[in-house]
Amino acid sequence: MSNPFTLNGGACLAMAGKDCVAIACDLRLGQQALTLSNNFPKIFNYGDVFLGLTGLATDVQTMHSLFRYKVNLYRLREEREIEPETMANLVSSSLYERRFGPYFVSPVVAGINQRTGKPFICGFDSIGCIDFAKDFIVSGTASDQLFGVAEGLWEPDLEPEDLFETVSQTLLNSLDRDALAGWGAHVYIITKDKVTKRLLRTRQD
Amino acid sequence: MASSYLLPHSQPNVHPTTASQPRQHHWSPYTENGGCILGIAGKDYVIIAGDTRSSEGYSINTRTARKVYDIGSGLILGVVGMSADGEELVRKVARKIDDYKRNHDKHITVAAAAVMLSRILYQKRFFPYYCQPLLGGLDEEGVGAIYSYDYVGSFEREQSRAYGAAASLITPFLDNQINFKNQFVPGSNGEEPRPKVDLSKEQVEKIVKDAFTSAVERHIEVGDGLQLVTIVKGVRAEGEEEDEDEREKTAGGGVISEVMSDLKKD
Amino acid sequence: MDALVSKYGGSDLDDLNILEEDEDEVTSSLPQSVSFILPPIDSPAKFLRAMTDDHTNPSAPIKLKHGTTTLAFKYQGGVIVCTDSRATQGSWIASQTVKKVIEINPYLLGTMAGGAADCQYWLTYLGMECRLHQLRHKRLISVAAASKILANLVYSYKGMGLSMGTMLTGVGHGGVFGLYYVDSDGNRVEGNLFCVGSGQTFAYGVLDRGYKWDLTDEEALELGRRSILAATHRDAYSGGYLNLYHIQKDGWVHHGFDDTNPVFWKQKLEKGEFQNVSTSLD
Repeated sequence: MSNPFTLNGGACLAMAGKDCVAIACDLRLGQQALTLSNNFPKIFNYGDVFLGLTGLATDVQTMHSLFRYKVNLYRLREEREIEPETMANLVSSSLYERRFGPYFVSPVVAGINQRTGKPFICGFDSIGCIDFAKDFIVSGTASDQLFGVAEGLWEPDLEPEDLFETVSQTLLNSLDRDALAGWGAHVYIITKDKVTKRLLRTRQD
Repeated sequence: MASSYLLPHSQPNVHPTTASQPRQHHWSPYTENGGCILGIAGKDYVIIAGDTRSSEGYSINTRTARKVYDIGSGLILGVVGMSADGEELVRKVARKIDDYKRNHDKHITVAAAAVMLSRILYQKRFFPYYCQPLLGGLDEEGVGAIYSYDYVGSFEREQSRAYGAAASLITPFLDNQINFKNQFVPGSNGEEPRPKVDLSKEQVEKIVKDAFTSAVERHIEVGDGLQLVTIVKGVRAEGEEEDEDEREKTAGGGVISEVMSDLKKD
Repeated sequence: MDALVSKYGGSDLDDLNILEEDEDEVTSSLPQSVSFILPPIDSPAKFLRAMTDDHTNPSAPIKLKHGTTTLAFKYQGGVIVCTDSRATQGSWIASQTVKKVIEINPYLLGTMAGGAADCQYWLTYLGMECRLHQLRHKRLISVAAASKILANLVYSYKGMGLSMGTMLTGVGHGGVFGLYYVDSDGNRVEGNLFCVGSGQTFAYGVLDRGYKWDLTDEEALELGRRSILAATHRDAYSGGYLNLYHIQKDGWVHHGFDDTNPVFWKQKLEKGEFQNVSTSLD
């Protein structure tokens, strides 16, 4: 009965702008109705690439460790940082390795390709099908709400500050309609040579 | 008689097991016909909008199904869920509103109609209507009122409410754009909420259309057309002639008009 | 169950006698004009459970609203009633503005947990019965009698699928305060302090810590508010607004319907509570 994707709650959102991308997540870790922690970020970075992981918390942590290991090996072997497109394929193949006993996560990748300077975002299902999007990617228990608001607020070629506002408003208003996500949020605004991380003050109910 | 034909499923001298017993649970009187409705109440107007797609699973039954009805006495009712139950409910409410007018020789107020609808729904507490209704009208002060219900009749007067397949997509967008949720006065460091204002009917109609075009992009059960029904105090829609004397004054003095427009059909 | 079906299914209710003035309405108060439509099958209750109980069957087509924290307690100055205002259907927050305190009349309040429609409908009906009592006996009904009317009423529907957990509280004739917990299983319990709903344990934690009979009015109101605030913070299915009432000798007084968000941040930033919530990165 208990669905591993909704047991712990959580939401993640990535958006593309003009020469920038944004990725944001909530901070809740719950067990069904009970909120256990309000400091459980779901975004991790590996060099210049950012990975958002929502779903079963134990799998979120396991996958984070796994990708830290894999990206470190990549860096040692290649003597360069991993690019977001490469990361997307790494995530996809790692998920498909567990085709018949999947990790219960819905990952999101965001970053700027350091060679071309092109913004990149994509999302995955739990067994590694990649969803390349040029606008936005949503995941987690508030995904319906995120789809609705993002579709209404997003527009092409937003500058970093406007992208921050769009991402924040989308996330905040979606969280307020989902019982299992919220309790604080992190937003990353990523340009080619700068990353800004902000904490959003959200409702605490 | 002696030659007994074997009837389907008849197994003499076998004890009934759980599997062989009749299973009543498979009687399922409900279907989901998709679609979405949205109601917003303003200072002197009410809007209820709905898409016009009616579907069953992945099939589209019709692209021209109206979900918002004029139920008399200057009131409108939007229904979403199972269209058969919805239409039955609308007929019942419209009939009762007409009865009220004949019995009391006056139009019912939206507040009284709201309670009446609640009782109609609760009467089927143990075999609920599979539909969610939104009642719209002008109250006795001429202020817009939306009453939202659950399946068995609990109700509340609200400013805005979305029901149906894409309610979860539209509602947070409306929270943000109509009620200014999570918006703050610039420079106040998130301390001072952006003050609420009475949006004009034209502004709200624009937001309603935006909400539906967004929902159509991301939900398969929503699309085809948009039916926008408004109640405004005392004036007809543009270009529509009417004789002042012929118009009976309803409790809120509202006049209903309807505009149809297109949504994506894929 | 067949007995229940034949009892409520047809128009038998029309044959019920009109209440005599001397008759004890506590034991025979079924609504006369009400007959509920039942599905044409053997076991309506099973059908209803299959269609509406999204706890055991998450894909149930009809999702009723759930999730609540409500509390009420007696103290030297009367009764405090406080609730949150959130309604959830699964993890979807259907409303943040539900009025979970039902004003039955100027002397009686009922709280709402479980099915919103059941609570609204039967507490309104109870208001009618209380008014009739007042007209028949020329005095206010006691909270004990009122709660018993409700308890007997819902008990007569036991097994049919009603869902309500309500605290009935107020002041009866002679200025006697009453507080009863009544639920759809048929329980009716008198007490000084109750919390009901998915967030009840969190509310009890704060309430028990601060509760004593000799609380001042201000302390009591603050304790009620603070208990619900704690529950809205930890329970995912509670939240929205704090709805606060005080019942005095001459009836209830409403003490506001306040958004939890500013209340929470004030509590945190000015009183230094809720330190588990961070305000800056690292």
